[in-house]
Amino acid sequence: MVVMLDVAAVGKRYGDTQALEAVSVAVAPGEVLALVGANGAGKSTLIKCVAGLVRHAGAVHVGGIDVARRPKQARRLIGYLPQQPALHAELSVRETALFYADLKGVPHDRARAGVEAVGLGEYADRPAGALSGGMRQRLALAIALLADPPLLVLDEPSAGLDIAARLELRRLVHEQRARGTAVLLSTHWLEDVPYIADRVLVLDHGRMQSLGSASEFEALAAPTSRLYLRLNGRGPEAVPLIRELLPEHAVEYAGDWLVVTCAAARKAGVVEAVVEAGIAILDLRVEELAAGTAPPGPGGMAL
Amino acid sequence: MSAIRTVARKELRDAASSRWLLGFAATFAVMALALSLAQGGGGDSRDGFTRTTAGLVNLCLLLVPLLALVLGAGALAGERERGTLASLMAQPITSTELLVGKFVGLTLAVWAAVALGFGSAGLAIALLHPVAAVGEYLQFVLLAAGLAMTMLSVGILVSVCSDGRMKAIGMALVLWFFFVLFYPLAAIGLALALSTSGETLLVAVLANPVEGARILAIVGLEPDLRVLGPLGAYLVNELGLPATTALLLTALAAWTAAPLALANGLFARQDY
Repeated sequence: MVVMLDVAAVGKRYGDTQALEAVSVAVAPGEVLALVGANGAGKSTLIKCVAGLVRHAGAVHVGGIDVARRPKQARRLIGYLPQQPALHAELSVRETALFYADLKGVPHDRARAGVEAVGLGEYADRPAGALSGGMRQRLALAIALLADPPLLVLDEPSAGLDIAARLELRRLVHEQRARGTAVLLSTHWLEDVPYIADRVLVLDHGRMQSLGSASEFEALAAPTSRLYLRLNGRGPEAVPLIRELLPEHAVEYAGDWLVVTCAAARKAGVVEAVVEAGIAILDLRVEELAAGTAPPGPGGMAL
Repeated sequence: MSAIRTVARKELRDAASSRWLLGFAATFAVMALALSLAQGGGGDSRDGFTRTTAGLVNLCLLLVPLLALVLGAGALAGERERGTLASLMAQPITSTELLVGKFVGLTLAVWAAVALGFGSAGLAIALLHPVAAVGEYLQFVLLAAGLAMTMLSVGILVSVCSDGRMKAIGMALVLWFFFVLFYPLAAIGLALALSTSGETLLVAVLANPVEGARILAIVGLEPDLRVLGPLGAYLVNELGLPATTALLLTALAAWTAAPLALANGLFARQDY
């Protein structure tokens, strides 16, 4: 297998805490690997090892280049989106993009186009410090994509994003995968995983718990969610769409709410289908139910 | 080189919009101008420049180390505190390039501020007198520029060793107090009380770049043993003027290179 990212027996210790222990995984061009695990599982630490931001045991190679020995050359191949994008507050959006373009050796025209592509064109003169969290995330994403890197490393890219932005992120990952970009991303949103990733690495207290395909992960994880949607009277239009998507799952009404009980990993797909059908979601609530529990009904009327 | 240039340009830009630096430049310019007007009014033109330069020595030895230490201390600690250090180090840039880029940018910024101060003073004297003794004046400007580099280098070492900007600036102020205020009064007195051997005096001079710069400035202006102080007088007596000048310039260069090299080594071994 051609490998873009090769992580071999990587370990990292912070004081007395073993944050990462003997993690080995490889990512091929055009493949998306999702890192999942609880807080403190080691996802961000592994991502920082890959980006060459922390010293660690073991070896990380990107495109065959040892990140520890030749960090500059390796980072030319990496587009990195940190968990909490930190930008120089005093630089404007445009100046930020141009600064990072200079560091990456990318022409300024492409930096300006990158700002436009993430929808920040009209905010180009606004200081980065005055951007909302979502806008900062988009600017950081534009920077990560500036040099068309063959490896994209995204640390919790969907954290703090609204539903539309999360769907947009999915599209972006799909596009990158189609272009042959290898993608390593961490996420708390388990339901995103089957839609966004080819394989899943589950970390627990810094150790590899499992590594397998996204469909295996979906079957293994399979917690249940109950999704409450207020659709402003357009429930009857949404029901067939949802039934088509989830033929085996319950769809019910509870007052104004349309209630969908499904595998947690599928609920984002429900929202995506409804939004793409042009049905506005007035309100949305989610109840997460433990894996394998038989959920009690919402007390509504079965369809 | 392009990464160094990019970082240096950003540092220069940040410095240009920094209230700290603008305030310093304005204060320095006003005080230097006041000194030149007060001292350059009488005597011949050579005296005008010489007297003003002598007055500027103390001003420069007080303010330039303060500005350079504080700016250097904030350089990397500030990036680390804001979280931008990781964003920078995730780019195709080495830790050495980032550090050198910061050093170059900040050096140019301090030089610009110092040039504004000396430029104002020089212009004022030149307007009052026909131009003479300009060489000594320019020598001192170069010495101030060199001292700024030295103190920036020490400040950047402090920055690398600190995990927060305020902690780094606090440490920089302690160092400034030690080098500029405490050392000439207490440390040298203590050294002389303990031993008056040549080695002790030599170590006392070389251990403080600000003291070295002070002696160099006086040697350049008027090597009078009364104003050189015990350390300077000892050096000039023992080594002669050319060797003293060469020794102090070498010490200043070493004080610039060593902290920067140490900072570079430590920074390369850190997590970002």
